Order: sequence, then C-alpha cells, then structure tokens
Amino acid sequence: MKGLVSLFIGLFGTFAFSWLGLTLIPNFQIGHLDPQADEEGTDIYPMPQSGTAERGRRVYVANGCFYCHSEQLRPDYIASDLDRKRDVDPHPKWGERRSAPRDYIFARPVLLGKARMGPDLANIGKAAPMEEESPAPATGGSPAASPAQAPSASPAPSSAAASPAPPNAPSAAAKTAANPSPAAPASSPAPETKPGEPRPYSAAWHHRHLYSPRDVNRDSDMPAYRFLYEKRPVAGEHSADALQLTGSDAPAPGWEIVPSYDANCLVAYLMSLDQSHPLKEVKSGAPALGGSPTASPAAAKGTK
Amino acid sequence: MDATEIPLKEPAVSVAAGDTEQVERALIDASTRVPVLMFYASAIAWLLIGTVLAGFVSFKLHAPDMFSNTSFLTWGRVRPAHMNVMVYGWASMAGMGTAIWMMARLCRTTLRHPLLLVAGAWFWNIGVLLGVGGILAGDSTGYQWLEFPPYAAIVLFVAYALIISWAVLMFRFRRGEQIYITQWYLLGAFLWFPWLYAAAQLMLFVVPVQGVLQSAVGWWYANNLLFLWFGAIGLGTAYYMIPKVIGRPVYSYHLATIGFWTYALFSSWTGMQRLVDGPFPAWMITASIAATILTIIPVATVGLNHHMTMQGYFPVMHYSPTLRFTVFGAMSYTAFSLVGVLISLRSVARYVNFTQASIAYSHMGLYAFFTMVMFGSMYYIVPRLVEREWRYATLIKLHFWASAYGIGLMTLMLLAGGYVQGGSMNDASLPFLESTQSVLPYLRGRSLSGLLLATSHFIFAFHFGLMLLGLGRTSTVPTFLNPVEAEGSEGHI
Repeated sequence: MKGLVSLFIGLFGTFAFSWLGLTLIPNFQIGHLDPQADEEGTDIYPMPQSGTAERGRRVYVANGCFYCHSEQLRPDYIASDLDRKRDVDPHPKWGERRSAPRDYIFARPVLLGKARMGPDLANIGKAAPMEEESPAPATGGSPAASPAQAPSASPAPSSAAASPAPPNAPSAAAKTAANPSPAAPASSPAPETKPGEPRPYSAAWHHRHLYSPRDVNRDSDMPAYRFLYEKRPVAGEHSADALQLTGSDAPAPGWEIVPSYDANCLVAYLMSLDQSHPLKEVKSGAPALGGSPTASPAAAKGTK
Repeated sequence: MDATEIPLKEPAVSVAAGDTEQVERALIDASTRVPVLMFYASAIAWLLIGTVLAGFVSFKLHAPDMFSNTSFLTWGRVRPAHMNVMVYGWASMAGMGTAIWMMARLCRTTLRHPLLLVAGAWFWNIGVLLGVGGILAGDSTGYQWLEFPPYAAIVLFVAYALIISWAVLMFRFRRGEQIYITQWYLLGAFLWFPWLYAAAQLMLFVVPVQGVLQSAVGWWYANNLLFLWFGAIGLGTAYYMIPKVIGRPVYSYHLATIGFWTYALFSSWTGMQRLVDGPFPAWMITASIAATILTIIPVATVGLNHHMTMQGYFPVMHYSPTLRFTVFGAMSYTAFSLVGVLISLRSVARYVNFTQASIAYSHMGLYAFFTMVMFGSMYYIVPRLVEREWRYATLIKLHFWASAYGIGLMTLMLLAGGYVQGGSMNDASLPFLESTQSVLPYLRGRSLSGLLLATSHFIFAFHFGLMLLGLGRTSTVPTFLNPVEAEGSEGHI
C-alpha cells in the first residue's frame, strides 16, 4: 500500500461509487413517479390507501407477514407467476400483469417480500368476491351484506351445468341472471365454498383464515393469529362480525370470537391490495379481462 | 512434518526477561483485556439467545400451531428477532472485539482509556436489547436486516461512534510505518459501516425514498453489511490468524492488494441481484449480477493467497483450534461466494428466488464463513487476555465438529429444499401449497442441524465461562486438539 492517503481515498471512493450507482442514480430514475391518470384526470392509479388500510399495513409489518408472502409478480417470460391460480378459488389468478415501480409509489414501507412460504398477495384484494369489492348499482337488489352468505336454497340451474361445485352463492346466481352468456357461469362460482362458509377471499373468509388457517385449508403452513381476536360472551344477539367457525375451533355456546380493531385493519389492508389496474408502461397479460372496464381505453392507448 | 517444531504460540511473558517485544505484547494484551472480554462475553450471551430464538423459528415453521395465542411469540416476530440478535448482537460484537484486539497488536500501541470502550459495549448491548424488544412488541420497521425501530438504531449509532473513535485513535498512535493487510480490511470496515448504516437510515426513515427504492436501499444495505462489514472483518482476521499461527508471512503482498481492492469495488455493487425480476429497472439488477460474478476475482486471489500461505502447513490444523476454525471459515468464504454467483444467475434465480435458498446463502456468509473465523480468533485471543489456556481439548473438538456438521447440513438442506420448492413453485399446474409441502421435509432436516449448532454453542459458552472464571489451565503450552507435546504437559489436563 503506497500510503495512508491513497488507502483512505480508495476506501471512500469505492463505497461512494456503490452508493451513487445503486441508490442515488436509481432515485433520479424512478424515485419521483406520479400516479397515472387518463386525459380527463378521472381514472387515477394508484391512489393512497385509507387510514384503516394503512394501519393494517402496520399490523402486517409488526407480525412479519412479509417474511412469507411477497407482493410482486414477475413477468411471464421469467416465471409462472401470471399463470398461477389461487388454491382455494382459482378465479381470478394471481394477477394479469407483472408489477411495476408505479404500483408502489404510496407504499411505506414497501413490502415486496423475499420468500414465498405462502402465496403472493399483490392482488389478494382483487380476488375478493364481486359484491364486496364494489356494490355496483346496476345489479340492483344485490344481496351484498355479509349475513347474505347464509346458504341459499336457490338451485341456480344455469350455472349448475357448467360447474360441479354446489352453486350456492346468491351473487353468482344474480350475476348469471344479469348476464346470461354461457361462458360467464364457468368463471364465477367458487368451487370449494360449502354452505355456511364465507366466500373465498371475502373479509369474513380472511378473518376465519387468520384465526384458524388449517380449518380453511388442511395443509396450510400458516401460523394462526389468534391473539388478534377476542373471545367474549354473547350479549343478546351474535355480533355481525363474529367469526363463523365450525368443528373444534368453534367457541362454546354463549361465546363468540370477534376480530379486534387490529384484525379489522389487517383485513382492510389485505382487501386493498390490488394491482389489476393497467399501467401504460406494462404489457397487460389479458387486457380484455384484466382491470375494470373503464380502464381499458387507457390501456389500449398506452400500448399502441 | 513434525508439528512440535511449529511455534503455535509465543511463550508466556514471565520467562522472557529482557525480551522487549514480549513485554510490549503483554502490555498491549493487558490494556485490551477488559473491553475485549466484555465484547466477547456479550457476543456469546447474544449467541445463546439467538440460538434459542432460531430453534423456535425453525420448529415453528413445520409446527405452525405452537403459541398462536401469544403476540410476541408469533413466527413473524421471532424470526426478525433471531436475525437481528445474530447480526447485531453476536456477529457485530464478536467482530468488534476481535478487531479492537488485532488493531492494538498491529498498531503496537496500548489501548488508552479502555473503560470508555466498555461504555461503548454497554450502549451497544442496550441498543440491541431495545431493538429486539421493539421487534417482539410489534415495532419492526418492515425492512429486512434493518428491523430495529429507529430509537434502537440511534443508540446503536452512538455506541458505534464511541467504539470506533477508539479504534481510529489507536491507529493514530500506531508505531512503525507499515500498514498491514489486516489493517486495510479493518479500517475499511470501520469507515464503511457507519456510512452504510447512516445512509440506509437516512434514505429509509429520515428522508424516505419512494416506493420500490426502499427495497433497493434495503438490499443494498444488507449485502454491503454482509460484505463490507462482516466480510471485511472476517477476511482481515483470516489474514492475521493464518500467518500468525503457522509462523510464516502471507504468501504474496501483491495478490493481497489486488484481492482487497477488487473486493471493495465489486462486492459493494452486489445486492440488487436479490431483487431479480422484481419491479425495478433491469440495469440495476444486471449491474449487481455482473458485480457478483466479478467477485470471483477477489475470491480467487484471496483464496489462492491463503492456500499458498498454508501450503505445507495444513497438518497444523490437526493441532491448532484457531487454525482449524479459521481455515474452515476461509474455505467457506470461497464456497459462500460461489453459491452467491450461482444463485444470482438469472437462469438459476428464476427457480430459487422466493425460496429457502437465500436463507442458505445468508447462513453460509454469516455462519460458515464469519462465525467460524470469529470462533477461531476467540480461541487465539482469549487465552492471551485471561492468561490461562483452554481447559478441555475435547470440548474444542466437539465444538468444531458440531458446528461444522451443523452448518454443512443446514446449508445442504436449505439449498436442496430451495431448489425443490422453486421447481414446484414455477410449475403453475401444481397447486401453490405443493411448493410449501415439498420443502417441509428439508425444513425438518434443518431443525436437526439447528440442534447440532445449539449443542456446539452451549459447549463453547461453557468453555468460555470457565476461562472467564479463571478456571483455564495455567501452562506455557497452548491447548492442542490432539496431543503433540510428548515433553510432558499431559498432567495439565
């Protein structure tokens, strides 16, 4: 070594080079992205999350969910993320397009994840059954409230032919009635839903899954998060948000399990995870199916 | 060769009347005694805590219903607690202890005001305790390797400032013009770490960068911590211990220069390969993959240099605990780097990304390489501080084999499990659950390896405790792993 001065210059220089190259220059390139908007400025994506969902993000972080669940989808030429179906209800799939930097501009901390001991959650909110996502006024008389998940005796014959699953969900029947195309029923029923159980990926389903993962999926490797729930005696009627549990997990008669505030925030956060909106810079896997219909013109404009 | 001829340790001071160099060394050792033992004792305490947490993490992964009613025992809190205890409690404190001692020896100066260094160690312990408590209470920041909440990070930083100013002060008062190879690495580590830590804290918490860049900063920090902090201290220690134990200079000074500067240049650019195919500009990831591949240059030069230094002296590993641990660590550094190159390649990464393979990689770096080198340095330094020799050669041997087999089994299990997991994860026709189910047998195997590692840690802690209590052997001959000294030191054991 020539001398102390050259040693110190070298030590500083090499590290400064790395700092500049791997953090500062990327910050110039993608560090100041704005939400995407269409020409009228109405269809803006992404939007900041509600306060409840943001608090839910803190719960998600505090309990280390991100050590097992990623929130990013790799492009289709690298991995099969975009072909992957969800285990409980294969519709919709993990996602229709890869994730892009713009999807995360409001995320703090950003939770891309490094391991998948559980499925990816980038679009878990999108996987929720339709009526929970947005009660569309067009369907009129939609049985959207959560008690409506009670078993329906309606045989719903139009979808029964297409799927071996018990066609029990009222909203599936309602949708089928609204859109009598023969292709539609194949994609709407949830195959594993049994009577009396919440529809997969609905808020009630998430609560039950967090409370008792192996009750929902026998082989699941997820820890139970029972400390996020309270057991309390039933005062008068059952609470509307009490968990619908069966078997050994069900509380004794006169007791009920209700989500704590943190659990409600966590589920609100999960329900807010949705990257289905098309982005101009990303090729959408299936533009006709992915995203909301109002966004499709924007996507078409972007891909030309 | 006849191992008895090898000067495994300079004789004790009392006999060397008039030998100024021996007296000088004894004075230096005496000045570092309290702070270095303080660092070591804290590190080993954290090692035991981290081991218990690790066992919990590993078993809970295939027995998920344990303790599901207790918030601070949920897997997602214990895992970062284990990780941070090992990184900031065990590895950093052991590394700082060894670095301070080597710095004093190489600068040929006594440590001035050692009690301030003890204060630094206390602050560091408080910082780690606050941080781990914060994680278990649910205050994690959500950035991997940086989970400590900001209030703990500030304490750590203050402690670091105290500690490092003393090391740099020692360098200021050094005698002799020569700057040794080990000192390049140590000075590098001392200067890079605060910059790295401050930069990451600044860009994540003070003026946070937007969106995915937080992940980029996080992994830039994690990999640089691994290479420029632990890697630099580990390699510097190997460069000190190997020539010292076998009593022979480093084979080539020029190779060492090339190895050092290519290491600083290339390894600092790695990190983004862990985000392969994520939502980032492709050039960032490609640059890191290229840098990872280029780290083969420092790996080859450092490996060659150590190998040529050891040439003809490999049998000494049969006797010297220090050499055995250090050479195991130095060889693991090569293996760790090559595995790093392999799993960074895009064609491999598409299988092993999001799997247990990246856990294997971290353990190879932090355990098979760094921790083993630290064990080696402790076996060398502690007897010089307490003026006793290690009591039981059998315990040292047990420690070595349990550690070596444990980490070897763990690495194999996690790499193979990661590959299997990635294979089924990439086959979209299989249910996702298939991928987690397929890795479970490997995770059970990993728990088994954890039992081996736990055994080795408790043995070492017990042995270290004996030394601290002054129950080591009083002898002028160091403890050999196998009897070589036929001239009558058997009676001491």
